[in-house]
Amino acid sequence: MSSFFAGFRFEIKILLREPIVWFTIITLFSLTLFSLYNGAVRVKIQQDILSAAQGDASKRIDGQKNLLARLEKGDVHEDLPPYRDPRNAVFVGSNGGQAAFLKPEPLALVAVGLSDIFPQLLKVTTASKDTFLFSDEIENPSNLLSGSIDLAFVIVFVLPIVILALCFNLISSEREQGTLAMTLAAAHRPLALIFGKIIARALLPILTIIVTTAVGLFIFSDKYTPVMTDCLLLCASILLYSSFWVVLAAAIDGLGKNSAFNALTLLGVWVIITILTPAGINALAGYIYPAPSRIDMTLAARAASTDADKEKDAVFARYKEEHPEAKRDRSKEASLRRLASQEAAFIQVEGIIKQHDLQLEHQQEFTKKLDFLSPALLTYQAIVEIAGTGTTRYRGFLDDINSFHIKWRDFFLARAKTGASLTIDDYNSLPKFVSLTHEPINIFRPLLGVFIPTMFAVIIAFIGLKRCAP
Amino acid sequence: MSQLVLNSNLIKSNSARRSNILSAIITKELREMYRDRRLVALSLFIVILSLAAILFGFTENSRLARERVAAAKADQLLWTGQGAKNPHAAAHFGQYAFKPVSPLSFIDPGVNPYVGTSVWLEAHKQNETQFRSARDKGLAGRLGGLSAAYILQTIAPLLILLVSFMSFTGERENGTLRQLLSLGVKPAELLIGKALSFNILILVLIFPLVAFSAIAIASFNNTINFSLSDQLVRLIIMALGYCLYLTGFAFLGLGFSAISKNSRAALISLLAFWLINSFLAPRLITDIARSYAPTPTALEFRSAIAQDKAKTFGHDETHPAFVLFRNEILKKYNVARIEDLPVNFRGLQLHRDDEAGYQIFDKHFSALQESFNRQDWLRTAPGFLFPILAITPFSMAFAGTDSLAQYDFTLTAEAHRRNIQNEVSDNIINFAHNDSYVSGPELWKRIASFSYRSPSIYFALDHSLEAIFMLLSWVAVTIIFALLSVRNLRPI
Repeated sequence: MSSFFAGFRFEIKILLREPIVWFTIITLFSLTLFSLYNGAVRVKIQQDILSAAQGDASKRIDGQKNLLARLEKGDVHEDLPPYRDPRNAVFVGSNGGQAAFLKPEPLALVAVGLSDIFPQLLKVTTASKDTFLFSDEIENPSNLLSGSIDLAFVIVFVLPIVILALCFNLISSEREQGTLAMTLAAAHRPLALIFGKIIARALLPILTIIVTTAVGLFIFSDKYTPVMTDCLLLCASILLYSSFWVVLAAAIDGLGKNSAFNALTLLGVWVIITILTPAGINALAGYIYPAPSRIDMTLAARAASTDADKEKDAVFARYKEEHPEAKRDRSKEASLRRLASQEAAFIQVEGIIKQHDLQLEHQQEFTKKLDFLSPALLTYQAIVEIAGTGTTRYRGFLDDINSFHIKWRDFFLARAKTGASLTIDDYNSLPKFVSLTHEPINIFRPLLGVFIPTMFAVIIAFIGLKRCAP
Repeated sequence: MSQLVLNSNLIKSNSARRSNILSAIITKELREMYRDRRLVALSLFIVILSLAAILFGFTENSRLARERVAAAKADQLLWTGQGAKNPHAAAHFGQYAFKPVSPLSFIDPGVNPYVGTSVWLEAHKQNETQFRSARDKGLAGRLGGLSAAYILQTIAPLLILLVSFMSFTGERENGTLRQLLSLGVKPAELLIGKALSFNILILVLIFPLVAFSAIAIASFNNTINFSLSDQLVRLIIMALGYCLYLTGFAFLGLGFSAISKNSRAALISLLAFWLINSFLAPRLITDIARSYAPTPTALEFRSAIAQDKAKTFGHDETHPAFVLFRNEILKKYNVARIEDLPVNFRGLQLHRDDEAGYQIFDKHFSALQESFNRQDWLRTAPGFLFPILAITPFSMAFAGTDSLAQYDFTLTAEAHRRNIQNEVSDNIINFAHNDSYVSGPELWKRIASFSYRSPSIYFALDHSLEAIFMLLSWVAVTIIFALLSVRNLRPI
């Protein structure tokens, strides 16, 4: 153990004397803090959007209730068209709608994930899903293309670079300076000494990011308390991912080549693992399993509603023929027509969305088969899952929307189909959106995916460093 | 260097001497590059990867183009097959406008995954475009897509820096720099010779991509929405832009190599710059741009429109604006009752309401685009220092995949929507004599389906002046830096 500590102590002393090390660590520190600040701003905007939407919805419902009260009292003398009538279950259900929302999780500030392309708020109506499921939050598309600096980015892209910059020439530089022989000779157990040196170099950036993250979360997440287990999972992900890069650097260094070789090889590996592999997997998945055509869904909905419209026209015409004396109730006809076209579209769209989900599932399954090729992608997945801005959370949100859509439709259609008018009691008992699906964070798979290559690299590094010679 | 020594004996005139030196330097550099197996492998890797990306992009484009053409046809059938109905009800049913796939998006998809592909043209409302494909790409898509543009913007500079970082330090470390300078070769000549040889490498990288892309464009065969010659010129300008972008890296590498103590220091500085340029700068400046020119949230945007729309009467006949309008019309036609009007009042009402709506939508949608433009302007501004900020908007603009190209599409689609609204309202004004008035397929057929002609290259040029200026400044800055760096070149 004494060799290990000796190596560790001396390496720390050397490191702290190098200005470039200080510069790297300060950069990492500032970026980590900035990313969390950025995250806090982002989450604040998301929370503001949610509360504004809730305020907007209750204002709208209150307006409807007031109009209804005035109608019931007989204060309104004009004939309201069906689409403005608060008693009309067909139009209130399809035009009004209720917001389904996804609240930011305690660690949402850690990763943007899918939160910038998936809206966290959708207005669910009785109409088919194509009319509300695909609405988007406003954002400059060039901003979405560039991305943002979040902690996930700092961990996945920047941290490995800092680790590699500190660890790439641990042995090779000593060999080049001619001090390796002396260093190895000085220790009782040379391997322990080398480990001590490696740990010293690796610990500096890892501790920096973990401590800064803890401080940053403490400062910036004032409105909500991060959950301890989530923080520990984040810490575990950082540690594992960092270990992968440290061990990889040691393995390459252990090959006994010069520093330039180490630097270029590690840079190449970094480019392949963090940039090219995720992009390649993405391109391949899109090529083999093309994304579904959402346009088809819209067209099917339009075709179904036109057919239903025509059918209703024929029914009304026939009724007129058979009852020439009856006065046409245009308001009722408009409601029945809307109901018929909406329901026809609903059936079509539900079927198509199921098909699309299946297509996307195939694509995701394919990505899952390949993502173990990139520990960067796996770690990104893990962090995004912890932040609650990943695939699992959005899938859960879509499931919640699905059940709420059914509830909302049942409520209004039960009244619309019997022609019953909506009452104040109905307005007071409108279905409310609740988030039911809350799967616990499961990042075992991505972490295992990082752990396995790390172990391989450990073996190679161990063999290489054991043979380490001046 | 033996060639140089021989050549120096044959010098006749000054310019001949200079060209001899340059050609000797270029030949030597190219030979060295060719002999470096790792370099050849990396260049080949970049070219093959880019070609594969182009192929993927081209296949995807062709599929999307087929899908959208079929969708446009299907929507046209739905529109004309509506049967007899009130023209305003038909306007509510509306049409769909599908954005044609820009041929050059197989090189640079730009913002395409983050913008909608179709827009519903319905009565009373200018809708936003729908279906951002990024939503269906999942998490892996957020780490970047594989496109030729992305490879040229991030990976190709790395190659150029790896080739150039040892230019002077390497010669110094091998002891050849002292020999060269003692032969009377000026540092600036050495710089130019090396820069020219790196430019040959850049051309070797870019040429196969241009040739392959030109064939792909020719076979894309969409002359309805795009002009083939326009696309080819765009391709050539894009290629020139990438040459400029990479040339700047060559000079940067040379400059750092000249001022650095050793190759290691040059490599570290250049790699740090490469990392900041490729990954940090775009994100950092985006975060700054977002707070510099904030955009409204969707709810704020829609509420602001709704607020303005509430000042117009729509279908609300109790609205004060409606009463004013009715009085105005009665006065204009000099009648006392609506029933006495020679034209249909409801048609006039729709027409007036639409006109008011157009102004409201123009105001809000153009203000939104303005805030996007301000953010984009700020993002491009540091392009002379971090050239990825200049090449990205430049490349997108010429590929027809930037936010302005999208805006042009939405404007054309909106113009078409207004055409539909005006036609149906005119029809009601002139022909509807009662509430049960219906129109038939002859009217639906008379209203043309949406057609879109992509703006010409001048549109892209006009909107990328800042990016072009920044790209040229980047090259100028790096040339000046390299020239200054070699002035005090230390031979040992």
